[in-house]
Amino acid sequence: MTSNEPKAKKSGGGGGAEAAEDGDWNWALVGALFVSTSLVFGLMRSLGVFFVEFVQYFEASAQSISWISSTGLAAQQFFSPLGAALCNAYDTRVVVMTGGFLAALGFILASQATCLVHLYLTMGLISGFGWGLVFTPMVATVVANIERRRALALGLGFSSIGIVSFIFNPLFQFLVETYAWRGALLILGGLSLNIVACGALVRPKRRSKAPEKVDSEKSSSCSSLLGRLSSYLELPLLLERPYLTYTLAVTLLNVGYFVPYFHLVAHSRQVGFSEYQAAFVMSAAGASDILGRVASGWFSDLGHFRLIHLLSLWTALAGVFIMLLPISSLSGSYAVLMVISLLYGFCSGALTSLVFAVVPMIVGVERVMGAIGLLQLIESGAGLLGTPLSGLLKDVTGTYTASFVVAGGFVVLGTLAMTTLPHYFSCTDPPAPRRPSHGEKDKSLHLELEQINSSPPHTNHGGGQ
Amino acid sequence: MSTSWKQLLFQSVLLLISCRPTQTKTSGPTPPPLVPISPLATDVRSVVLKGESHTEKVELVNPVDLELECIWSGNLNNLPNITGFWRKGGDEIENSRLAVQLENEKYHLKRVFRIVGEENLGSYSCVFGNEAKVDFILAAPQMGEVRDKPIVSYVGDSVVVVCKMEATKPKPLSWNWYKANGTDKEQIFFAAESHQYEIKNKEGTTKLVVHNLTEADSGFYNCEAVYAIGTTMGHVELKVITLWEPLKPFIAILVEVVVLVAAILLYERSQSKKKCSGENGTNAEQSNTLTQAENNGPEESSSMRQRKV
Repeated sequence: MTSNEPKAKKSGGGGGAEAAEDGDWNWALVGALFVSTSLVFGLMRSLGVFFVEFVQYFEASAQSISWISSTGLAAQQFFSPLGAALCNAYDTRVVVMTGGFLAALGFILASQATCLVHLYLTMGLISGFGWGLVFTPMVATVVANIERRRALALGLGFSSIGIVSFIFNPLFQFLVETYAWRGALLILGGLSLNIVACGALVRPKRRSKAPEKVDSEKSSSCSSLLGRLSSYLELPLLLERPYLTYTLAVTLLNVGYFVPYFHLVAHSRQVGFSEYQAAFVMSAAGASDILGRVASGWFSDLGHFRLIHLLSLWTALAGVFIMLLPISSLSGSYAVLMVISLLYGFCSGALTSLVFAVVPMIVGVERVMGAIGLLQLIESGAGLLGTPLSGLLKDVTGTYTASFVVAGGFVVLGTLAMTTLPHYFSCTDPPAPRRPSHGEKDKSLHLELEQINSSPPHTNHGGGQ
Repeated sequence: MSTSWKQLLFQSVLLLISCRPTQTKTSGPTPPPLVPISPLATDVRSVVLKGESHTEKVELVNPVDLELECIWSGNLNNLPNITGFWRKGGDEIENSRLAVQLENEKYHLKRVFRIVGEENLGSYSCVFGNEAKVDFILAAPQMGEVRDKPIVSYVGDSVVVVCKMEATKPKPLSWNWYKANGTDKEQIFFAAESHQYEIKNKEGTTKLVVHNLTEADSGFYNCEAVYAIGTTMGHVELKVITLWEPLKPFIAILVEVVVLVAAILLYERSQSKKKCSGENGTNAEQSNTLTQAENNGPEESSSMRQRKV
């Protein structure tokens, strides 16, 4: 209680200019997240234009070409913990800049590809590895550095994916028409280099991670090396029940929540709507997705509800709407389908900006980097499961109804898993867990952090800000 | 009997003398008797004309005896007899003028045309008096999707130029490829075997693969679909560029990134220099904010602040 006051005094008094500057830097950081996310996921989603060209040039099947983006996404998620560990061990700025360079290198090399395997290795593996070094560190940096408007910052950052896809699709089409796919890939490599500039915006942190991590007394023996490695990767998190529960919930969520984006168009066409009607439904859902991300971020930061409650609300609603989608289109009414798709889009966008904002509540701000890295890795399995499963259900039953219902079911299951988090039903956030400390100095340090985590925005103490 | 043989001999001699390729205005010329007249398939196209004119596209693949029929319901004053005739191209076909009678409130015009080759294709019209007409456009199947944007490729690379006849249309007997060289008249015919070109034909699609491209290979390529009745042409433009073209925007973006990174780093360095050269205690305060290294609680911090001031 008492230690909060001098902290408040400090931030109000001598640190006025610095707080303002930090505020400016925070917005620059959000901008960096916006740009880097758009160049990672926005780029990934708009590669469809190239696939048509690849099919013709390499005379390959569409499925073998689609493996390129699957490899890229899998590499990004697989190398996330590695990116997190490197940031914990070294400087985030250097890691993100390296990641940006690698992503660009992948595309530049891909422009010289002479066979399909080259594309898997360059566009898939190298660029994916680069993206893994970029996404998790950027998200974790934003989460760790921005407290008051965390969800809004994330919402704004992630809204880039939707916004930029309106720009990238026609842009890539133009590039391919003017320069053929080789030239277009080269230019994309150049565009990806902008991630390096985003990484430059990340300031090197001057936290006292040094005394915790580097034990100068111990020599670099195998056990201490492993110990350090596990602490960089935040592996002990896997033994903590809250984190495991949350990871399970997010994994279940990932199995289902993206299914409509894959199958909605085909399902609408199957029910009998025209190509344009189906495409318009998708675009509308995409637009409401962008809106949902920003609106949910803004609303969550107002502090009226706990983030975890809002997240479960959005996921529950998203699951329900996914399950309602086939019913609405089976009734034949286009208006009902449109309304439910808009609602689904809004809810799925709303939950994405909260998924990462909740992590520091569960593991503490210090461990956010490693936590998000591991989360990305584990939830990647869900992605691998979800789409083939929904496709299989469609092949077996003949319609998409079963796929949607099962997908919605998984999302609702994820919500239920979330309710088993400790202190779920309390009105205030529990104190965030802390890393096992090694001394007096660290104890007080963590005490302060604990206070920060249960600070005003999320409890009634201190009033709204 | 002998008279008819004499007549036949006389006719044959006449025809032998006059047998020269001539531009006939008549439709469907009967082949010279020297060549046996093989029975052709028959087809009928019928159009009921409601207004004053109508255009009907007729797609033909093989030689055929085509019967074109026009039915006109007439206008306000329906005379019992009007004159009807046929046209090919813009010119009236000889001996095609007829008196058309009004039957069941309708006028009928019917004629059979023998379509065997390219010269028989074109526009045929039936005309009722000066008031109504129906145009029949006879043609071989046309290629629907013509790519208006050029195909772009690089020097040294290989490229696939595709011409496709729609799946719904009948497949051509064979394909030919030409490259437009300078003016339209000169076209280079691609030989089947060549080290630089490969032609792959599959059903309704033809692919011309060009290896080892050079900038001279840029230009228009014409694909020709060959049918028994005639040919149709499609064209595709190829543009060969060097790697320097995309390299220009790439270098521009590279420069932009380097400038941005340098600006960010320099700005940060100048900010930190300002802080360092400014208040001495700012660093200490920063480390306090960042590390929260307050060991003994509030008193320590207030005393530190006092020291700074």
